Amino acid sequence: MTPKYLLKRLGQAILTFLVTMTVSFLLYQAMPGGPTEAMRSVILSQSGGSVDIDRLNRMIQLYTNVNPDQPMHVQYFNYASDVILRQDLGTSFFKNEKVTTLIMQRIPWSMFISVYALALGYSLSIFLGVMTAYREKSRFDSTVSSLIIGLNSIPYYIVGVVLIYFLAIQNNYFPTGGRIGSGIAAGYNPEFMLSLVKHAALPAISMGALATSGALAMRGNAIRVLGEDYIRVAQLRGLRETRIATQYLGHNSILPMYTQFMIGIAGVFSSAVIVEEVFAYPGMGLLMFEAVKTQDYPLLMGTLIVFTAISLTAIFIADLTYTLIDPRISVGEE
Amino acid sequence: MSEAHSDSFDLKDLYDEDIDPDPESRADRAKRFLEMNVVAPARIAVDDWRALVGGAILAFFLLMGTVGVWLVERPTSGDAPVLAAPFESLAYPLGTDVFGQPIHAQLIHATPGMFKMIFAGAVVSVGFAALVGVVAGFEHGTRIDSFLMTITDVVITIPGLPLIIVITAIFQPENPYIVGVFLGIDNWPGLARTVRSQVLSIREESYVEASEIMGIPLSSILRRDILSQLMPYVMINGALTSRRIIFESVGLYFLGILPFTTFNWGVMMNLAYEGNALTRPDMLPWMVAPMVCIFLLSFGLVLLSQGLDSLFNVRLRARHAKTSKKKGTSKNNQSQATGGD
Amino acid sequence: MRTSNQNDSDPDQDVVFEVRDLEVTFGTNRGESRVVRNVDFDIYRNETLGMVGESGSGKSMTSSALMNAVVSPGETSGEVTYYPPGGGEPISVLDLDEEELRKFRWGEVAMVFQGAMSSFNPVKKVRGHFKETLEDHNRDVEAGLERAHQILGDLYLDPDRVLDSYPYELSGGMKQRALVALALILEPEVLVMDEPTAALDLLMQRSIVSLLKDLKEEYDLTIIFITHDLPLLTKLADRLVVMYAFDIVEVGSTEELLYDAAHPYTRSLLNATPDLNAPIEEMQSISGSKPDPVTNIPGCSYRPRCPMADESCAEAEPPMADRGNGHRTACFYHDDVADEIPIPAMEAAEEGGEGE
Repeated sequence: MTPKYLLKRLGQAILTFLVTMTVSFLLYQAMPGGPTEAMRSVILSQSGGSVDIDRLNRMIQLYTNVNPDQPMHVQYFNYASDVILRQDLGTSFFKNEKVTTLIMQRIPWSMFISVYALALGYSLSIFLGVMTAYREKSRFDSTVSSLIIGLNSIPYYIVGVVLIYFLAIQNNYFPTGGRIGSGIAAGYNPEFMLSLVKHAALPAISMGALATSGALAMRGNAIRVLGEDYIRVAQLRGLRETRIATQYLGHNSILPMYTQFMIGIAGVFSSAVIVEEVFAYPGMGLLMFEAVKTQDYPLLMGTLIVFTAISLTAIFIADLTYTLIDPRISVGEE
Repeated sequence: MSEAHSDSFDLKDLYDEDIDPDPESRADRAKRFLEMNVVAPARIAVDDWRALVGGAILAFFLLMGTVGVWLVERPTSGDAPVLAAPFESLAYPLGTDVFGQPIHAQLIHATPGMFKMIFAGAVVSVGFAALVGVVAGFEHGTRIDSFLMTITDVVITIPGLPLIIVITAIFQPENPYIVGVFLGIDNWPGLARTVRSQVLSIREESYVEASEIMGIPLSSILRRDILSQLMPYVMINGALTSRRIIFESVGLYFLGILPFTTFNWGVMMNLAYEGNALTRPDMLPWMVAPMVCIFLLSFGLVLLSQGLDSLFNVRLRARHAKTSKKKGTSKNNQSQATGGD
Repeated sequence: MRTSNQNDSDPDQDVVFEVRDLEVTFGTNRGESRVVRNVDFDIYRNETLGMVGESGSGKSMTSSALMNAVVSPGETSGEVTYYPPGGGEPISVLDLDEEELRKFRWGEVAMVFQGAMSSFNPVKKVRGHFKETLEDHNRDVEAGLERAHQILGDLYLDPDRVLDSYPYELSGGMKQRALVALALILEPEVLVMDEPTAALDLLMQRSIVSLLKDLKEEYDLTIIFITHDLPLLTKLADRLVVMYAFDIVEVGSTEELLYDAAHPYTRSLLNATPDLNAPIEEMQSISGSKPDPVTNIPGCSYRPRCPMADESCAEAEPPMADRGNGHRTACFYHDDVADEIPIPAMEAAEEGGEGE
């Protein structure tokens, strides 16, 4: 572990978070006609009747933490301190609840399918990449490579639609949507667990399809590593094939992919917005979708900030493991 | 003739020399540019089947978006019977939707918008990436470089889709070019990094050093080489960026986040999906047809990028050399060991 | 067939490897590429055998074949017989199945080759390399690591420091010696060294070579040393095998070959060898270009570059002629070679007393 490297990465994550927060503040300001005009109709439709401009601005502040009355820098300062110090992302227009409360309820569900998808997608791309490299130019290689190219040409949400059609509608293997079967009591009972997994499976697979985009790059790396002297020496040393495949070939071909995998985390998490809508899976992504549909700006900005925070945390954790899998990291980064 | 006269004549000569070759070399340059960007890629495309098939698919969709739009009338409600089955009438070979609009006509009239989006998005992201990468590479080691790279790292880790969703939800863009620009916002950082490292590696080439010693300014050396060396990356990334823009734009139309102002494959999918097309076989063509188009166009772009990659990729080329000559192995490995991390 | 008179091994010698009719071929799009052609030779127990020849002459392929380790898609055929110590059942290496071959490699024959700099897995500590080798050959890991300490010490390395390092933390010379130690960890009979010193500086080369001499005594090794560095070999090897154009052209004791080389190629090789004792104007390079593995030259393969070649050389392949004392050479005119191709450096050395 090199503290310097990790500090640098941590600083970068914090900076990214601040940038996202600032962007969301600026987006409030950049709304057509400014925040007051833009949100007037939405708030009016909520409260009914007409309100004077002061009351409207007060309501906007109540909901969004942005007070249009004040000078810009004061607005920004208040907004930032609410987000950072009080973890207050405002209040939803429509549900009249704190945005943080709403999001917190949804996070576990999104995390569940996202992590599931990442594990599935990444292990599959590593496995297929190594296997196809091992049998380079064989029929297995060309078949799998073509399949991967085909899969990479299908947007993950279409993968989801196709899965629903074949596995949920034509055959009743999986539910078409939702996160839990109706009438099943929550708790540590097998029925509940099974229902949980069954509902999460298809969304996770379609998000996982996104994560397999690294398989071909992995294959390329593995082909390159196969040409390295240490692989030949390992074979001459009479090491077991499984050891060579995992500790030599696998490990060394993952290294150049690591950054790409880490960046991919953000992409897979984001894909939840579309996938959760397709599967009516009530996670954070669906919440964001609902916020768009109802022009619930505080909720919309809140989900953006939380999406960023979660991605950054996940990427940072992945960074911690990078120092474990590549001993040269401290050297390479200097 | 006096000496003075001959002197001035010589001067004029010199002057002319300075002026004259310029337009000529400009023509040469144009020719070279054409050779590099049109002729060579075309020749390469013919050599590699993937590039060929990819290019053919792309050409097909381009025809669809230009000639097709002209041949097939813009669909309107009630053009044909509602939910007609496919392959039964020449007027609507792919069937019709719930409004009686022929599906094939909708597909065709969605294509120009798609290409406008792809074009705007690819130009914005590739252009921005090249700009950031080249500047950072030129200014390597300075504050400008570290500033640009910090921004790149920040943008790379922001979840792009939610950001784009927020932006499009607020601004509700209707013009396909603007949609493309929005979608290009988060697409540039990867290529920017590649371009930067490419510029750096060109700088490290020994002949660059030699030319510098000879007094040729670094900027003109780089200008000469960057275009030729970066072209492959730009083309490959252009193809992949285009695919991503298709995915995201269709996804946003499919979700109904982008306003339904034009024909779009995603809009068709949205209307069909909301109408429960998956459980109604008579509506299925409405859902499947745009999906097939998206797949085909992306497949074409992926194939094209793959084909270009295998032809351009230095690493692969090194590998080809390696298999034929054993001596290359150790040399190659050494260069990878030093350049690898 | 040039080797008919060599088919039976020298009965006086304890043979560890017997190689007969060895062929290595690669299919290329220009046709079949025969990179080792009909090679026969024996390796005696506890000798140091030097293999010399220009790059691409087939030395590395021949030595790889001893472990049936020719890189795919190369095809190896012929006979490679290994005689275990103490009169055990002979092993036909090319007929071993995958698992048997895996055990045979490194257990009986270990190899250190030119890519020593990158022979270690970059993400694994040196200790891990020793440990996994012991584990995968079902040896006692504790005792093995104990032994590793000892060997590393014998190679003038700090055992604990080296074992706890990642490969990138070691210098080239250290890595090279660590690799030699790794090669000895399973107590093999035979150690093949394929250009082990090519990437090292001169000082490091010589120190590795002197270490090898000690190791050979201490660990009862048979060493096969492959190089194009002839002067290095003369200080190290008991016997020399000279390869040209994918086949052996001359075999004999080092003494014999140094002072009585009977193949034009060997003599040119000696002439082309830089030696501090020789004046620069007497050094000669070998004219002509290297043979192509795809084409089949009728007759003697050295003919196109040989100053003595005549029609008979083009008609038939010269057989291996026995010149006594295990000295064999593939030249029709082996008796005339010494007169036709003098070696000025050697003569000068002889005149001025013993050369070394």
